[in-house]
Amino acid sequence: MRAQPPIRHGGPVEALAQAAGIFAVDAALRSGKGTLSRIRKSGQRFTPQRNSRHAWASTVAFVALGLVMFASDAIAQPQESLPPPGVMKKLSLDELMDIDVTSVSKRSEKLSETASAIQVITQEDMRRSGASSIPEALRLASNLEVAQVDSHQWAISARGFNSTSANKLQVLIDGRTVYTPLFSGVFWDVQDTLLEDVDRIEVISGPGATLWGANAVNGVVNIITKSAKDTQGLLVLGGGGTELRGFGGARYGGTLSSNLHYRVYGKYFDRDSTVLPSGRDATDDWHMGQGGFRLDWDGSEANLLTLQGDIYDGRIAQLGANDDSVVSGGNVIGRWSHTFSEESDFKLQLYYDRTHRNIPGTFSEDLDTYDLDFDHRFPLGERNAIVWGLGYRRMDDDVGNSPVLAFLPRRLSRELFSGFVQDEIALVKDRLHLTVGTKIEHNDYTGFEFQPSGRLAWLITPRQTAWTAVSRAVRTPSRIDNDLFAPANPPFTLVQGGANFVSEELLSYELGYRIQPHRQLSLSLAAYYNDYDNLRSVEQVNPPAPFPVVIANGQEGESYGAELTAEYHVTDWWRLRVGYTELRIHVRPKSGSTDTSKGSGESHDPNHQVGLRSSWDLPWHLECGVGFRYVSQIANQRVPAYQELDARLAWRPTPKLEFSIIGQNLLHDHHPEFGALTSRHEIERGVYGKVTWRF
Amino acid sequence: MALLVSTRHWRNGGPSDLPGVLFAALALLLVGGLNLPAQPVATKEYKIKAVFLFNFSQFVTWPTNAFPETQTPLVIGVLGEDPFGTYLDETVRGEEVDKHPLVIQHYRRAEEIKTCHILFISQSETSRLDQILPSLKGRSILTVSDAEGFAQQGGMIRFVTEKGRIRLRINPEAAKAASLTISSKLLRPAEIVAPGKD
Repeated sequence: MRAQPPIRHGGPVEALAQAAGIFAVDAALRSGKGTLSRIRKSGQRFTPQRNSRHAWASTVAFVALGLVMFASDAIAQPQESLPPPGVMKKLSLDELMDIDVTSVSKRSEKLSETASAIQVITQEDMRRSGASSIPEALRLASNLEVAQVDSHQWAISARGFNSTSANKLQVLIDGRTVYTPLFSGVFWDVQDTLLEDVDRIEVISGPGATLWGANAVNGVVNIITKSAKDTQGLLVLGGGGTELRGFGGARYGGTLSSNLHYRVYGKYFDRDSTVLPSGRDATDDWHMGQGGFRLDWDGSEANLLTLQGDIYDGRIAQLGANDDSVVSGGNVIGRWSHTFSEESDFKLQLYYDRTHRNIPGTFSEDLDTYDLDFDHRFPLGERNAIVWGLGYRRMDDDVGNSPVLAFLPRRLSRELFSGFVQDEIALVKDRLHLTVGTKIEHNDYTGFEFQPSGRLAWLITPRQTAWTAVSRAVRTPSRIDNDLFAPANPPFTLVQGGANFVSEELLSYELGYRIQPHRQLSLSLAAYYNDYDNLRSVEQVNPPAPFPVVIANGQEGESYGAELTAEYHVTDWWRLRVGYTELRIHVRPKSGSTDTSKGSGESHDPNHQVGLRSSWDLPWHLECGVGFRYVSQIANQRVPAYQELDARLAWRPTPKLEFSIIGQNLLHDHHPEFGALTSRHEIERGVYGKVTWRF
Repeated sequence: MALLVSTRHWRNGGPSDLPGVLFAALALLLVGGLNLPAQPVATKEYKIKAVFLFNFSQFVTWPTNAFPETQTPLVIGVLGEDPFGTYLDETVRGEEVDKHPLVIQHYRRAEEIKTCHILFISQSETSRLDQILPSLKGRSILTVSDAEGFAQQGGMIRFVTEKGRIRLRINPEAAKAASLTISSKLLRPAEIVAPGKD
């Protein structure tokens, strides 16, 4: 046997394990059975094709589960996002009179009354954090786990089960589900927009499946951009630095007639590579351009028509490969909202989304998603508020396989039908609200799935809410669970698909409490116990031979934990925010399973996370902010605990002009956040400057 | 149910599983939090109204006797339930008009109003407007409200929300009667009304 090349970045073994989120290889390694040599003997000749894990662990993202528009109204309630008084005071009377206040009061009250663990990241929060991408902005939500894997990949989840192909978080951008049926997860590198045009990001930890559908198992991230009316005028920004080497963007919003507003935008960025643990350059630098538009027509008081779309194209360098990965795609959304009254409206939404990802020599995917959603909200009698909806989605997936692994069949079309109904019952008006509902979905793998939930909110006082919830959610099968084979041709000596894979199931019990004990202080606590069944496992076909394996549902487990957040407005110029989360996960094989990983392929999570943010308005139009985070070790990847610090200093000589300098990950030259040592990239300290100019 | 299940598991997991700090925090919330005074956070609508109130201090001229001394603060009073949270305080903090520092005061009843220059009358007082407004007669107080029928009953500036935007209805006659001069800069974007109309 020839000497084994170092397995760093290595090779298909990693690719296989990571890609699939299966850890057969990892587990076997640790059990001392020498899987690596077995694999090598199995006849495959593995060239050390670096970064083939990218093959997998990334791809174009997309789209699809979209039921949701109502979500932003029905559950996830926005916070008021107005600039601080210092800025508002400088507005003219005319400008003050031009601010739309309709979205307001009821919703902000409801945020504090919602019977789920919701956090809202506002535009102001994002601006003050210096976040340069959506994943970076998500670090502001303390109820998420956010780990940067390399220059473009992120592992993001809520309440555990994190991985580069995390599959229990539902993510939407303006009602479009950015989800790949390949592994039920998100390719974060292609989820972008002009961050200045984002109105808010609502982050819910805990199941949201009754409204959002399958995949909203452990959480929901709902990214909502501003209306065209609220993004009028010219915005130009640009800058550059060490990690975020260069970026620029522009948006113009105009009015075609008094009822017809539009905006167009374009942006570009160029990001530097991460490094290997040795400090050597990991050659994964990348750049991407994106453009888009939005058109809003409020034809009458009752009707709002929206047409919006994006298009993007990016190149990602691959360690050890000459050819860059290519990511590209686009989407277009049409939406009609009709308002009958304050309590009653409907929305009809149609979208098309296309993604393309090509990792030369390893993997490619083209995915087309067509989605139609309808939802309707109305009151029933004095006490009932009903929401119901219907949805249809079709996904046409076409992958390009390599000799190493394959999705079979190569081309696959999948259809999803869904419906939901939910009733919010005022048991005692403005005091005790019960929300019951269920989602019913039909998918091509497992047929009908029911995802009911019951939520009870007790508004103890106007400043104090206690809530509890019981929900069932499922993670329906994706292509990786069913169609993954390795090597690509029979007799598939490593992985033989998962023809019998069924949905992973969750029963979740939640308890929460929010209080605003003082007008400057608000506190929120959520605790949960999650009971999982039919978790993904890798089963030996001919035990005790570790390979081949099939993918099955041989694991079960539970998790529990708590999320505490506090926001303290010390003065009008000093704000503090603290987030603390605790999490424990126990996964074990069910009887008859040969999987001994104890979940180490499915979940890579820190037990504790602490985040602290402070922002100050200083004299001379200066703003300063720091964000500190502590993340405990990820035991099953042996990623050590780390602490990091971000900081931002900005000067806004006028409300229209802003100069800022942002430091990210300042405490270390480079530090790891995620990934097994053999494939790990580390994140370097970065500093960049930025100018934003609004006309 | 949820609590029972969770508790059982925490116990099984042993005390190290959930640190004491969490329980301490919980205890603090449950015990310590409840008795503290609570105030609402202002909605967007009221934040903007707060900024308007601040603006009024810049666009209205009071008679000299309204400020007995040069250091006398310019008082913005809120009568009834305060819808502004901390926002009004934050807006006026550190501000002054002709060396008169701006100060916020809260009143539960009209009788408590002593020195006051701008009075915002909360919607909670709508039913008592017919007593409140006459009781202020002859005093140089700019009365502001978003209550129904405010101008009709002799109020000076009413906030009206139309198509999601805040509009001003100003009754200059009522202001004049109180020896207040409203700048044309404020009158221009406003709708001018005479008493009796609202």
